Amino acid sequence: MNETVVLKDLQINAGDNILVNKTSIVIEEGEIFGLVGESGSGKTLTAKAIINLLPKGLSYSADEIITAGKNMLTASAEEKKEHIGKNIGYIPQNTVFYLHPMIKIKNQIGDGYVYHMHKTKKEALEKAEALLYKVGFKYPKIVLNYYPWQLSGGMRQRCNIAMALMNDPKLIIADEPTTALDSTVQRQVMDLFRTINEEMKLSILLISHNLGLVKHYSHSLAVMYAGQIVESGYTNTVFSNPKHPYTRLLIEIIPSFKIKKDERLAEIPGLAAENGRDIKGCVFFKRCPKAMDICKEMVAEHIDDKHDHYYRCNLK
Amino acid sequence: MLSYILDRLKSSIVVLFVVSVITFFVLMIIPGNPAQLILGTDATPEAIQELHAAMGLDRPLYQQYLSWLLDLFTLDMGSSYVYGESVTALIARSIPVTFSISIFAMVMAVFIAFLFGIISAIKKNSIADYFSRSIMQLGAAIPSFWIGMVFIVYFGIKLRILPVSGFVPIEQSFAGFIKSILLPSVVLAIGEVGTLLRIIRSSMLDSLKQDYMDMARVKGLSTGKTYIKYALRGALTAPLTIIGMQFAKLAGGTVVVETIFALPGLGRMVLTAVEHRDIVLLQGLVMFITSTVIIITLIVDISVMYLNPRIKSFQQGEL
Repeated sequence: MNETVVLKDLQINAGDNILVNKTSIVIEEGEIFGLVGESGSGKTLTAKAIINLLPKGLSYSADEIITAGKNMLTASAEEKKEHIGKNIGYIPQNTVFYLHPMIKIKNQIGDGYVYHMHKTKKEALEKAEALLYKVGFKYPKIVLNYYPWQLSGGMRQRCNIAMALMNDPKLIIADEPTTALDSTVQRQVMDLFRTINEEMKLSILLISHNLGLVKHYSHSLAVMYAGQIVESGYTNTVFSNPKHPYTRLLIEIIPSFKIKKDERLAEIPGLAAENGRDIKGCVFFKRCPKAMDICKEMVAEHIDDKHDHYYRCNLK
Repeated sequence: MLSYILDRLKSSIVVLFVVSVITFFVLMIIPGNPAQLILGTDATPEAIQELHAAMGLDRPLYQQYLSWLLDLFTLDMGSSYVYGESVTALIARSIPVTFSISIFAMVMAVFIAFLFGIISAIKKNSIADYFSRSIMQLGAAIPSFWIGMVFIVYFGIKLRILPVSGFVPIEQSFAGFIKSILLPSVVLAIGEVGTLLRIIRSSMLDSLKQDYMDMARVKGLSTGKTYIKYALRGALTAPLTIIGMQFAKLAGGTVVVETIFALPGLGRMVLTAVEHRDIVLLQGLVMFITSTVIIITLIVDISVMYLNPRIKSFQQGEL
């Protein structure tokens, strides 16, 4: 199989503070890859490193970053910009200001297409119309003439999805695409992702803190904790046989309808560490119910033979 | 859109009415008899009394006000004691002077402020940014009378390339016109450019931090598109409002600069009217300047609405 994204040993620093450490991801062509973790675990930063969108002031290093077939570590700034604009679609978290509030949809949806594909604005609008129809607008012409703030949250998110699809990208990065949407719309948007993934054979990097959502929609996933990937593999494998205590706890606390009246939702005690993400031992040590003395000193990495299940833990 | 403009026009008329009442009565209750001022201290009390009556000053105040207001509708604002001419003609004559230096100054200030404001926001903490920040400081710190004098001494007396005073109407000689307004406009522009630059820089910095800039970057658009179409578009509202306020201020007369360069503009005329207690002239000038400010503000508000259509919906109760 071909890989759309190969990321090896990524480290992101803000000055002396390490935000993301020893992170490796492989996204196969045509798969939905879920990246799960708590807020501040480094999911978004990892995704932004892949598409060269890290905020100023952060530095990063990696052994390898290949995004849609291009080595991001050796490409010039101009090449990176061009390659990402052409091949990557980005669907952001909250869409209120990701669409420019003062520009009509028709004037911002197609500008990347016009610029990279050397098309006229008319062709761009025709394509935009078709895509807007595809993402569920019955009257795309009317939507094109709206300003973003005249649309609802779900409509804006669908505009963003259509915009991300304009250049027929190889990869879509969806950064918590369903936050701030209610659950019905959330479902619609996620089903749309699945349809796009199946019809267009493109890879999707789905960033989410909602493990239930990722379980349902992704082919593979990685669980991030405090800037590190603690477990990754095929979704089925990870869910049927979770190895890392953090993953197990996360799976246990997925809310279900079996919950009794007045019963509190389960939680993992403690907070993710903000500092000291570069320690030799396990980053989950302080919150781990099965912590052993050795976890302070070192942490073992396990990869099974078929390379489809990885975890960092001293437990066997 | 149209209903908004009509609404604004209605409220403008109310403002003008209130201003007219205040101007008229405040100026009328100021001590000093205009008839006495015109005739001088040697005049006999009879002559003063006669002129007083002839000018209609012996009528009750409200009658005087009503006749003044009615005349205002026909653009007749009475005649000035000092100049012995109709106020309308006097104002019409000084408009070209004040407006040409104001427009010229604002064009320069806007151009420089946008150029450096945008660059310094994009290249924050670069040499260009430090340069822009010095422009801000200097513009705010240098008094216009001083820089005006420096210019007169250097360009007018030492180099002898520009006239030191006076105004040449455009129909008389175009080159002469430009030369006569160049120095005063530059002095005015220096006074305004700092504030505007500061606003543009900070709006740009704010706009550059917005999420839509991430989107523009991920789209890999050209630098020009990214910064002009996305960043600048989001940063225009505040500068536009400031430009309107600055222009309204200048168009109402620039006393200091007009005095230094001996320009027969509105500001000088206000000064003369106050000095000589030329109440009729002063009333006319205040009414004219107020209307100018109202019209400019209206134009600015409509442009802002056009730029940021959310305001329009807000006005119409859509949001």
